[in-house]
Amino acid sequence: MIMAASNLSNPMFFGGGGGEEDQSQMTQQQYSAIPTSSTPPATAQKKKRNLPGTPNPDAEVIALSPKTLMATNRFICEVCNKGFQREQNLQLHRRGHNLPWKLKQKSTKEVKRKVYLCPEPTCVHHDASRALGDLTGIKKHFSRKHGEKKYKCDKCSKRYAVQSDWKAHSKTCGTREYRCDCGTLFSRRDSFITHRAFCDALAQESARHTPNLSTHIFGSNAMNLNLSQAQIPSNNMLGLGGSGAKLEQLSSSSSLFASQAPRSPFFMPPPDSHQGTFQDQQNKQFHGLMQLPDHLQPNTNNSPSAASNMFNLSFYSNSSTANSISNSTSDNNSSFLMPDHQYGHEGNTSIYSGSNTHYNSTSHDHQKQTAAPMSATALLQKAAQMGSTTSNPSATLLKGISSSSSSSLSSANKFQRGFNSIGNPENENQQLEGLMNSFANGHPNSIYGHQHDNTFAGFGGNAMRLEHQQKRNFGNMEEAVAAGKMNQNFSASMGGSADDRLTLDFLGIGGRVRKMSDAFSQREQQTVGVSEMSSLEHPKTGPSSQARHVFGSPALQ
Amino acid sequence: MMFQDDGSSSVTSSPFQNSPMISLSPGLGSPYPLLKELKSEDRGLYLIHLLLTCATHVATGSLENANLSLDQISHLASPDGDTMQRIASYFAEALADRILKAWPGLYKALHSTKLSLFSEDILVRKIFFEVFPFLKVAFIVTNQAIIEAMEGEKMVHIIDLNAAYPMQWHALLQDLSARPEGPPHLRITGVHPQKEVLDQMAHVLTEEAEKLDIPFQFNPVVSKLDNLDIEQLRVKTGEALAISSILQLHSLLCPVDEPHKRSPLTTMKSNGVNLLRASQIKQSTLGDLLQKDMVNGQSPGADSASSSPQSSAPAVQIDGFLNALWGLSPKVMVVAEQDSNHNGSSLMERLSESLYFYAALFDCLESTLPRSSMERLKLEKFLFGEEVKNIIACEGSSRKERHEKLEKWIQRLDFAGFGSVPLSYYGMLQARRLVQGYSCDGYRIKEENGCVVICWQDRALYSVSAWRCRR
Repeated sequence: MIMAASNLSNPMFFGGGGGEEDQSQMTQQQYSAIPTSSTPPATAQKKKRNLPGTPNPDAEVIALSPKTLMATNRFICEVCNKGFQREQNLQLHRRGHNLPWKLKQKSTKEVKRKVYLCPEPTCVHHDASRALGDLTGIKKHFSRKHGEKKYKCDKCSKRYAVQSDWKAHSKTCGTREYRCDCGTLFSRRDSFITHRAFCDALAQESARHTPNLSTHIFGSNAMNLNLSQAQIPSNNMLGLGGSGAKLEQLSSSSSLFASQAPRSPFFMPPPDSHQGTFQDQQNKQFHGLMQLPDHLQPNTNNSPSAASNMFNLSFYSNSSTANSISNSTSDNNSSFLMPDHQYGHEGNTSIYSGSNTHYNSTSHDHQKQTAAPMSATALLQKAAQMGSTTSNPSATLLKGISSSSSSSLSSANKFQRGFNSIGNPENENQQLEGLMNSFANGHPNSIYGHQHDNTFAGFGGNAMRLEHQQKRNFGNMEEAVAAGKMNQNFSASMGGSADDRLTLDFLGIGGRVRKMSDAFSQREQQTVGVSEMSSLEHPKTGPSSQARHVFGSPALQ
Repeated sequence: MMFQDDGSSSVTSSPFQNSPMISLSPGLGSPYPLLKELKSEDRGLYLIHLLLTCATHVATGSLENANLSLDQISHLASPDGDTMQRIASYFAEALADRILKAWPGLYKALHSTKLSLFSEDILVRKIFFEVFPFLKVAFIVTNQAIIEAMEGEKMVHIIDLNAAYPMQWHALLQDLSARPEGPPHLRITGVHPQKEVLDQMAHVLTEEAEKLDIPFQFNPVVSKLDNLDIEQLRVKTGEALAISSILQLHSLLCPVDEPHKRSPLTTMKSNGVNLLRASQIKQSTLGDLLQKDMVNGQSPGADSASSSPQSSAPAVQIDGFLNALWGLSPKVMVVAEQDSNHNGSSLMERLSESLYFYAALFDCLESTLPRSSMERLKLEKFLFGEEVKNIIACEGSSRKERHEKLEKWIQRLDFAGFGSVPLSYYGMLQARRLVQGYSCDGYRIKEENGCVVICWQDRALYSVSAWRCRR
């Protein structure tokens, strides 16, 4: 039972209470409430005792293990396992078993004082110099500071480890209290103030935050109503809702989440354990295969189980909100997503190395666009590639935007896509429109440059057909041409004033990016055979681009 | 319109343009309606170009031109448009911010009523945690490295240099309680500038530790990293120390004496646009303290004009800081950082690097959240937008977002006396599984020199590496 016992013989430790000043200063706040007697609340009034834990130097130091210390009946009868709090009682009990027993005699000598160490190694009272003077005291200290708070106040939910503390609190709880608007009660002013600082801020935030969440994200689709409702309580739970932040609530929600998986609970919910991941998987399928029937399911059976899961997960887990969102939007737009997807996947992913799988799920305004937009990364890479073919980035960038190298590339892409989807009657119109678009944009440039032939060569015989359709279907070509010219003008103006240093910088990056995206461009060229034309066209393109190449040499800089 | 005249004149003077363009250009009446009808892709390319052009003008101090570029950008960019439109909005704002700093009075007046709600900050960081896998991977890998390093340790002390995420330690508590040898005595020292955040963390963790019956203490240190007093960390002998730094160390990469010997490259001195009011050097107490130990730290020849940020200054705050951490002899230190070089000395360098980096992040968002999402908007504006602003518009000690590549960190930490601890197979596995669980499949986990690099497609975005004291 006694793990260690030693005699404190070193008087240096005990020069009197004063020597402990700095150490105790640190712990004073922490331990000031700890009495060495067994009447906790009373000690606060008693003035100027010794600091807790400055024992008599001659005292016997006793270190008990936590288990022993906390055992209510640590003197156990070996026959019937009955436990006793005091050894004397055990001895009396043993008498009943006819076991040898021995009552301690009051020794004639003065009783040696005992002091007790806290078993917690990081605790100041773990040190013999700060041992506490009585067993009850150390028990209470250990429970309070290192133990479980088993006793909960029904009124304010405050928890206590020591029953007597809890009793004392229960008597005064509610008589003097601080209540936050969010409903949380505080009996101490300092904790109330701390809480307010946090609570106010978050409540304020939520006022602006919540409506947006429910209206914007979930739209007006009735199907999603239960989802969005589920969202709101979860926000409340986390202190974002109208009720403000409750510390208790925050932590309880976190533990809710934690309880779902024993290891690494936040990060790796096991796939089968809740809806969130289920939805993830659904989404994946959705991205990959666009199976609408499958995809519709989560929305319909969402109501009770998904809702409860949303409740737990929406705040802490990754993207369940996002998923539910994409579910709902795709629902709305499924009519156009279907066709879009079919060529979107065949064309896009190969061109942009898979980065665009998300088009299908994301936004509503795609409806207008026949071709899915390039990701920003892809755009940058493209810009860099264009920049690296010649020396002046602004000029080439610019050129690229309105003219040959870019638009022949992009029209080539779209052309392929259009080609792929020709068998699909309902797509054709959309598709052609896109085609026309790109084509129209490419057109004016080919007038200025010498790329005209190249582009058409790339398109082969189909170009003729396209031109034909263009006339029939595409009214706003004029405008597009104008836009193209506009571009060139802007580019001209901007490019002209570009600085040399930019050139160097940008080129450096362009070069790097090229290296990094080697795989990317290789794939691109494989899948889009026509794009090779665009890379080839520079050497061929006659005087203007030759000039560019000359400028590429450092001599001009 | 003004700028068009200006533009066409510069075309004629430019050797790069072929003349047919001018002669064939249509009437320059109203370009904007047409510009707005540009397809997303062309508009994106155009925006990139405009940003680069504008940045060049800003860098060279030709404000008139910069203004024109910004004007054009404003007609094409939009914070709730497609990805490139959004990015362009924030970069344009950042460039404008930089220009504006040339007039400190104007700048201050315009920002005088700006509210900085720390709750906003907390909220945005929470969204960042939720929406992206980056922090989760960092936490998982960090925790795994700590668990492995602390095997068999009875007393564990963890210093969290950015104690804003209780979830990380919540998870660690669970892991520790499941340890075969039983949980250790755990102490977590959390460093954060806001007391409320620490209170919150203390509350959550104490509760959890009680529930799991783990002896636990939380030691809150209300402080910024750059004036952290190492003494406050209360590291004791006999305890096994772990340090976790999630996206923090880059803020200490500021050269201590930068404002005094700033190179001409970093300032915008031409045209009298010396933007940067001499930023006050906030010499950290720690920095002061440890600078003396670090005399022959760096190659003395290099000054801030050098393009390499490693040798950009003879003394950088972080050297002292790392040295101090080294002095605590942690058993393991886990460092997560943005894996991109945004600490170049020239504006153009930083602009183009950060353009790539944030483009990837915005692409991630595009694939996870709808364009109308408030959360997305908040992330873009209050987190990424602010970071971009800091990278582009700030100089000297106010430029905190000095992200650098993993290889730089490896050099730096190695130099500071830390040895690399390769992340375990299990840690990698967990990271991979986490990323695979994501609904969009653009995220990748890459292993590089025993460190984890989290990528979007092929672009490295964040790195996590583990270190120990090399004696």
